[in-house]
Parts: sequence; structure tokens; C-alpha cells
Amino acid sequence: MNATNLCRRDDLGLTAAVRANEHASADDVTAELARMENLGPHLGDLVTAADGKPAPLQARQGPGEPALVWSGFGIAYIDAMIGGLIQQGRPLPALLNALCRLFDATVEGYSSSVLLLDRTRTRVQHAVGPGLPSNYSELLEGQSVSCASGGLQLDSNGGPAKAPAQDLKSCWSAPILSLTGEMLGIFVVYERAVNGPTSLYPALLQQFTHVASMAIERSRSEHTLRRTEALLAKALHLSSTGSFSWRVDSGEITWSDEIYRIFEFDPGVPLTLQLPCSRIHPDDLPRWYEMVDRIRNEGSDYEHEYRLLMPDHSVKYLHVVAHACRDQDGQLEYVGAVQDVSQRKLAEEALNKTRAELAHLSRVQSLGALTASIAHEVNQPLCAITNNATSCLRYLAMDPPNVERARKAVQRTVQDGNRAADVITRLRALFKKKDTTTESVQLNEIAREVIALSFGELRRSRVIVKSELADDLPPVFGDRVQLQQVILNLLLNARDAMTGVHDRPRQLLISCVRDADDRIRLSVRDAGVGFASQQALEKLFEPFYSTKSGGMGIGLAISRSIVESHHGKLWATRNEGHGATFTFSIPRAGARARAACKVTALGMPALTDAIHT
Amino acid sequence: MTVTVSLVSLVDDDDSVRESLPELLSHLNFAVRSFTTAEEFLASDSADQTRCLILDVVLPGMSGPDLQRELKRRGQKIPIVFISGFTDETFRNEMLAQGAVEYLFKPFSEAALLTAINAALGVS
Repeated sequence: MNATNLCRRDDLGLTAAVRANEHASADDVTAELARMENLGPHLGDLVTAADGKPAPLQARQGPGEPALVWSGFGIAYIDAMIGGLIQQGRPLPALLNALCRLFDATVEGYSSSVLLLDRTRTRVQHAVGPGLPSNYSELLEGQSVSCASGGLQLDSNGGPAKAPAQDLKSCWSAPILSLTGEMLGIFVVYERAVNGPTSLYPALLQQFTHVASMAIERSRSEHTLRRTEALLAKALHLSSTGSFSWRVDSGEITWSDEIYRIFEFDPGVPLTLQLPCSRIHPDDLPRWYEMVDRIRNEGSDYEHEYRLLMPDHSVKYLHVVAHACRDQDGQLEYVGAVQDVSQRKLAEEALNKTRAELAHLSRVQSLGALTASIAHEVNQPLCAITNNATSCLRYLAMDPPNVERARKAVQRTVQDGNRAADVITRLRALFKKKDTTTESVQLNEIAREVIALSFGELRRSRVIVKSELADDLPPVFGDRVQLQQVILNLLLNARDAMTGVHDRPRQLLISCVRDADDRIRLSVRDAGVGFASQQALEKLFEPFYSTKSGGMGIGLAISRSIVESHHGKLWATRNEGHGATFTFSIPRAGARARAACKVTALGMPALTDAIHT
Repeated sequence: MTVTVSLVSLVDDDDSVRESLPELLSHLNFAVRSFTTAEEFLASDSADQTRCLILDVVLPGMSGPDLQRELKRRGQKIPIVFISGFTDETFRNEMLAQGAVEYLFKPFSEAALLTAINAALGVS
């Protein structure tokens, strides 16, 4: 037997069988492996020098020399062998088992094994050694390993140094490293003779550890990929998200299983653009057609929300995001995701309802503080009405009746009646419990209404109200009653902050301006006791925190949540002099028009605000 | 029969009240002078002639009770009838304790007003 023979056998034999046919079955490979084992002794011949000992490879290096042929054969052979097994998706232990058997067949008198390390890379997790006793893995599992002086060694407590069988006399090992140098495992070789390692072994070990690392990495990446795919599928299912693609020109549509589930169609139903239409809520259908027409022409990314009306009359809320791309032929294709957001929508509705109830509670509480003042506001015109009516009676009782004076008295009575009614009208809106309605409103107008409502109360508390309300402000989108509530809350807080002030005017400045960021900003500045620190101010916004004995401590928390639901901010600052200033700013109406349209369309907060603004 | 027309002064910042009440008082045969603020009243010469002061509680600047204290400080014993839209009994009692003849809650009847003014004028 010589190298040439062996080389020829490689060409005609196993490598050809495995290489020529990428679809070689597991049985083919196993059969070749068995043949390889039978060839073992002859392979051993190849690398055995005349003295019967493994010859150093370096000594044989040179063109056409057997060692190089062997080396080339070895790599090609091992690669093909293990590569074939990897392609068949064989589990890692089977791959490593085959690798060890190859080694054992290649070099006579040796038994090889692969130790796989656990995540910590300090202990043996699993050992594969087909030529070693059956309890080999058990013997080594859990053994700790350590890296010392550049080479890998097993601990002195057990490990390969302690021979797993009587006839094994020597042991070498080499680390199996990943491409990035991370230690994946250890290749361990036992020899039946007592021999020191020769220069052959590093080269051999290098080849085998290289293939072992490929096998381990490949197996791991496939495992990771499968795991990732499984996780992704699970995540998509859990989040009720399906994916789709739509080739606009050919009309070809593909749906993931989840979309079939969301639309409640049987998988395999032929997909056309008309199919989803049969489920889309009739009210949303015109918008949907409009969107399809638009994106068909524009070819740009899109985001859309619509409802489904299911056969059982239940309603689903869907959120769609799609990305436009062009294939090699320049054909437009959309790839996107459809998410069933019904649960979130229901949760948001419940949250909004709770928030509205809490806001109402807080509003009623604030108004409670105004009761006396409101009674006063109504009693003033009532007093005038009584006086006028009494005068009127007297004019009519005269002889002759002074009809002209009586008429004037009645006219004044009517005016005062209207005035009393106005107070009640202003109040009714605030006491009313109703759903949030978004409309275009003037913040300074709302401020004036609140000032009018609370003026009596503020005056009674000897608060001097000064207002600087700009006239040319653009409108904001919002709920009038809720915004009134915020301003009322700030005014009453300012009043309370100045109750203990006797040495200076209890001045309150309410101002409304357009700021540099094109937002409408309303501030209420008091000359009250103020706050020791900015932290103390921030604490005021925490729910159920109050500095007042009668306070529930929800006013500012509610106010902040109202302002934030208007895409705005509410904050407090300490004044240079006395007191504090509470300010909120909300975007002007035009800035959020598109998002607002969405709110109206679905009655739910737009999910896409961040994209549109 | 000669009737002495007593001067009744009214201090109230509410336009409607300041418009309607003097008319009613004139039917009751009182001479009336109206003022929007306490300061205005003090600055006028009416303080010396007023036989009865009908005084609102909440006023811009000096309040009704402030004016009551100021008059006391100046030694001017003008009988005061408070009128207020605030229907606070405790506060009413407090003002009565401090010497007010009457404290009427708005709106009040002609009869109640007349009774109060008569009490202020010492007419039985």
C-alpha cells in the first residue's frame, strides 16, 4: 500500500460517493464510514515510517511526497465525510462520533474523543469517544477543565490523564476553537503505547480539531437558527402578527398562517385583493380602497389601520405596516406585517374609561371648592331679579301704572336671568360626565371661560388675577372640558398656594402664548409660598400626594395625564421671587392633523404618531 | 306729615345690584347713593350723612368687613346691613357679633330689606 494507491482510492471511493452526490443518504455515508474503518490499518501504513513509528510530517514535506498527499487527502476526506453528515442535519454527537471513528481508523493504536464544554467553558458537558469504554462520557461529564500556560489541560483530579481503560497508556489533547478563538471543546487522543507526542500529532490534531470546530459551530448555528425561527414564530403568534407579500403587477399575494388565522380563512384559500375586502368593516372599506390605489401608484412604504367585521359580528382592529421594494426586474413588491391589535384597543378603551372617570371625580372635587363662589355668582343676578321684579310690581301698582318704568325693570330682569343662566351653562359642561371629544379649540378662549367661572372664588381669596392672553393664537386639538379642568386646577392650586400670604399682593398671572416650538403654552404663575426644591415640585405630580389637608392629591396627576393625552407636557418651575409657575404646552392643531384624523377614524390613539410627526 | 328722608348708602361692585337696589329703595322713600368700592365711599362726603350703610362683603380692594373696621377706627358709627351672595352662616354670625345690624343673603325680599333698614334707623 502506498500513498498513490490511497489517493486513488480517495478519488474513486468515499469522497466521490459523498461529494458527487450531495443528496447522499445517511446510509450511504454510514456505509462509507464502515469501509473507512476497514481501511484503517492501511491508512496507518501510510503515515508509518520504516521504523514502525509515526513519522514526522514535516520531514516528508515536498511536492509529491506522501505526507502532503496524505494531508490533502485527510482534509478533503474529513471535510467531505463530515460535511455530508452535516448537510443531512445529523445531530452533533453523531457528527463527532463519525469524526472520532475516522481518526481512530486513520491512525492505528489510538482512540480519540471530543469533549464538549458547558456554557461556562469550565466543565465537560458531554464526551464522545466511540473507541473508548461505554462509560467514558459518564466518567468525564462535569469534570472541570482549565487553560494553563497556553495549552489546554484537564484538571489533575480525574480527566483524560486518568486512563479510561487499562490498555491506554498516553493521552494528548488540543482545544477546539471557534473562528473567533472561543473554546468550543477539547479533542483528546489516547494511545495504547507509551509514546511522547511527535510532530505528527500537532498536524493531525489541527486537522481534526478544525473539522470538529466546523461541525460544532455549524450545528450550533443551525440550532440557534432553528431556535430563533421557532421563537419568532411563537412571538408572531403571541403578538397576533402575520406577514405578507404582495407583488403589485402580477397581483401575487402570499400570507403567513397567522394572517389566515386573523382573517379566519382556511389556509389555502386562493388569495386575491378581493379576499380581505369580504372581511373589512364596511365603514373602513372606502379608506382601504383609497389606500390600495395610492400605494399602487406611489410605491412607497405605508402604514394603515382598519377594522374587520367577522361573520359572528365581532370587530377586530388591525394595524398594518408594509415596506416597498423592487425585485431584480424592477417589479414593485410590498412586504409587510399585519397585527391584530384588538386586545390592546380594548385595554386602551378600558384605560381611557377609567381615566375619564377619575378625571370626572377630580373635576367634581375641584368644583366642590367652587360651590360657594358659584352660588355667589348666581345669587348676584338673582338678587337683582328680585329687586327689579319688586320695583316692577310697584310701578304697576301706581295709579296710573308707570308702564314705561315697569317695562325697563322687566328688561333688566330678563338680562339678569340670562346672566344667571350663563353661569349654570358654564358649570354644566364641567359637571357633565361624557366621553372625550376632540375638536379644534382656542386655548385662550378656554382660559377666559375658566377665569370667569373662578373669578369670584379667586377674588374672595383676595387673589389679584392678571391675564396675558395672546389673541392671534392658532387653535389646538383637544377636549374643551378636560382642558378647562386643567386650567381650573392650576388656578385653584395657585390660590391655595397664596392663602398664607399676607405681606405682599396675592398676584396670579395667567398667560397664554405660542412658543418657539410652535406649541401653545399656558402658564399660571403665583406669588405663594413656593417650594424648597425642584424635587419637591416634581413630587406634586405623584398621585395621592398632597400638600393640602383637604386635598385628594390627584389634581395635578390627572392634569398631567390630560395634557399628555393631548400630546403635551405639564411642568412646574420655581420663580425667581416668590412662588411657583405651572406651565403646559400642547401642539397646535395643524401639527398633528394627520394623527388626529386617525383618532377620528378608529376612535383609538394613533399608533403611528412617531412616524407622522 | 313731614317725612325725613334718610340717606342710605350702597357699596356693591355688582352692576346689576347697584342698578336695581337703589330703584327699589327709592320706592321705599329712601335717598340712595351708590358706590362701587369701599374706598370710593370713604372718599365721598356721604360717610357723614349716611344713616344706613348697605354693604357687600366681597369687594375689590378693601372688603366689606375692612370698611366696617375702618369706620369703627374713625369713630363713625354708621349702622351696617351686610348683603352677600355667600351664604355662610358662620361668617354671618361673626359679622353680626362685630356689630352689624343685619346680614342678608342675596337674593332677599323687600320686606326683609325694609326690616333691616328700619332696624338700622332705629325705627320700630
